[in-house]
Amino acid sequence: MANSQSTRHEPLLLIGPALIVIALLFAFPAVYNIILSFQKLSPYQSPGEAIWVGLSNFTALFTNNQTAEAAWNSAFWLTTLTVVIRLVLGMAIALLLQSDVLARWKLRGVCRTAVLLPWMVPPVVAVASWKWILDGNTGVLNQVLVGLGVIPRGIPFLADTSTVWWSIIAIVVWRELPFVVIVLMAGLQSIPKDQYEAASLDHAGAWKSFLHVTVPNLRPVITVIVIVTVIQTFNNFVYVWLATGGGPGTYTQVLATRLYSAAFINNSLGQGAAIGIMMSVVVAIFAIIYFRLADRENGARA
Amino acid sequence: MRRNRAAVAVACAAAFVVGLTACSTGGSVGSNSSGTVHLVFQQFDPAAEVTGLQSTVSKWNKLHPDIQVDMQTLSPSNPQQLAREANSGSGPDVVQVPYANVAFLAQPKILLPLNSLMKKYPLAHGTGDLLAKDMVTFDGKMWAVPWTADTMALVYRPSALTAAGISSPPATWGELASDATAISKQSGGKTAGFCFGASGSATAAQWFAINYYMWNHGHGFVKKDSAGSWVTDITQSQLTSTIDYFNGLFVSGATPQSFQSVNDYTDPSIANGLANGSCAMTYAPPQTFQTLVKTAGDKVTTAPMPGGLKDGSTHLGGRGLAINRNAKHPQQAWEFIQYLMSPATFKTYEQYPASKSTLKSLTVPKNQDGFVQQLPHSVSFGRYIGSNMPVVSMQQLVNQQFSAVYSGQSSSSRAATAILSGLKAGIGG
Repeated sequence: MANSQSTRHEPLLLIGPALIVIALLFAFPAVYNIILSFQKLSPYQSPGEAIWVGLSNFTALFTNNQTAEAAWNSAFWLTTLTVVIRLVLGMAIALLLQSDVLARWKLRGVCRTAVLLPWMVPPVVAVASWKWILDGNTGVLNQVLVGLGVIPRGIPFLADTSTVWWSIIAIVVWRELPFVVIVLMAGLQSIPKDQYEAASLDHAGAWKSFLHVTVPNLRPVITVIVIVTVIQTFNNFVYVWLATGGGPGTYTQVLATRLYSAAFINNSLGQGAAIGIMMSVVVAIFAIIYFRLADRENGARA
Repeated sequence: MRRNRAAVAVACAAAFVVGLTACSTGGSVGSNSSGTVHLVFQQFDPAAEVTGLQSTVSKWNKLHPDIQVDMQTLSPSNPQQLAREANSGSGPDVVQVPYANVAFLAQPKILLPLNSLMKKYPLAHGTGDLLAKDMVTFDGKMWAVPWTADTMALVYRPSALTAAGISSPPATWGELASDATAISKQSGGKTAGFCFGASGSATAAQWFAINYYMWNHGHGFVKKDSAGSWVTDITQSQLTSTIDYFNGLFVSGATPQSFQSVNDYTDPSIANGLANGSCAMTYAPPQTFQTLVKTAGDKVTTAPMPGGLKDGSTHLGGRGLAINRNAKHPQQAWEFIQYLMSPATFKTYEQYPASKSTLKSLTVPKNQDGFVQQLPHSVSFGRYIGSNMPVVSMQQLVNQQFSAVYSGQSSSSRAATAILSGLKAGIGG
């Protein structure tokens, strides 16, 4: 009898540590964030001093026209454009790194390492370096362009509305591209060689082989890359905050920088939590799509 | 066997929880078994600017083997981190706090009120000797003791002014704009007339200049009216005109557009510009100027800001010294604070003391005349403190809207409307 009771409790005991980790590190903060979004609390107060304010944090969020602007910037400029560019460039670089030419010249290892370098640079250092490169007065890029006579005077890339988003995109793509390249390279390596040989026998050129062999085989990998990079980028705070602080004006404000401003500059943790929930909902949609696709993939394999 | 596995699982879970608990607890340093008191002093100036302060602390440690102080640098100032530490029962014992943050730390009683310590162990010259007391007093109690005083003075290269045929630094804001434009034009764009950080970030860079301009013209962003309510202190047309003035600096070429992405007066493009001659004028606090002198030498000097000799046209800033409410040895912490306030500290620490008598006892180099002349006329940001809107929130609102005009996203009148409505909503709570 005692033995059967211990057998019944054993699974619970075994998954206990994992449950504690999930509860402490994921469930509790998520639930507390939801509670906080209905409260008024400053970063200087302890949680016990919070005041319940109902839906007012959400009302303030949705009646502020900067929210729509920041949501658009997060979705289009920061996420969609950078993901698409990373995918296109990543595919080109991955194909190049897989090419026989590089292998023949024994440059494959060097090139792969070089491509990985940006990923080894901490984002803060990457942004600081790019700010220095793009500086309107002393930036290396401007010095070169002015020196070559391409432009008469330096362009303040991070202060001009016509260049600021493209500058941020350049920073994000440069730093985050290696992830896409690595995953695509892994995908390319898993494509059976005989499919290319069959295509070649059918007189398919390089472009047709790419369209009819490479792309279909890489589709599951591409889906995973898109979903993962969308989730990572949509939530990203570091690149925009460090590069422009959301400026000039509010031109590059994204939801993550609005969250930080609300919580830690305007001292309203509740409003910050409300923005966080809004962001979580968007990311959750992508996460659900990702898990559905992953399940379907696993099902197909099984 | 199964029982063993279950026991291992329980032990692992317990160890994990205990580990996390251990990680989450901390505390201010107390005294050890030998009876030596250990204090942690946290300051926020960049490490390069505090070698003098470090030597002062080392000297204290030599003189006081029974009270050892460990100086920590957490730069820039992060009052919210201090609040988090204090709310969890830990944090540094003695902390350097910008005046503008004292009220936020006093309200939730994160700091220790100093009145009883001051009464028991009075300051050498009493509290009447101190500047900026309004910035450290909250609810009738002093929560920090004013330690340093500073303001922003005009920093310029006399040679750049002379090259443009200008014999003396600008004394009014109108002169600043015309002189800066003349310098930029005369040099063919090689020397920018007036360099300042004009980004939309919530930093103090353009915030000071904007306020100085407004105060010199008789208005400000907010004020407490006679009934004790917070109201805006500027009309739509006055604010529009202020925005137009600053935008005009970019339009005329007095300030290059590239400074719209600069968010700090310590930015290398300003400091290097003054040193190598690509900038003629800027504004800076004393410690930034002293750092600049190390590279630019006598090529740079200071003058009062435009209109800076008119009372209340510039700000009196600085830092206070406070004691964490969790400090286990407040008396020793107070003793250390009194030591830091002594004239000896300011012989090596590149700041001006907030004590009038200590200030008088110092010999200030001639190139710092701008600060010395202006300080007696400066008034603290206390005028903005007490409403529901923190100064940093005002900074963000104002800087963003000014920046939106510079970059062409908004007109000056639209930006003025946005600032006024943001201020009204903010001070109303």
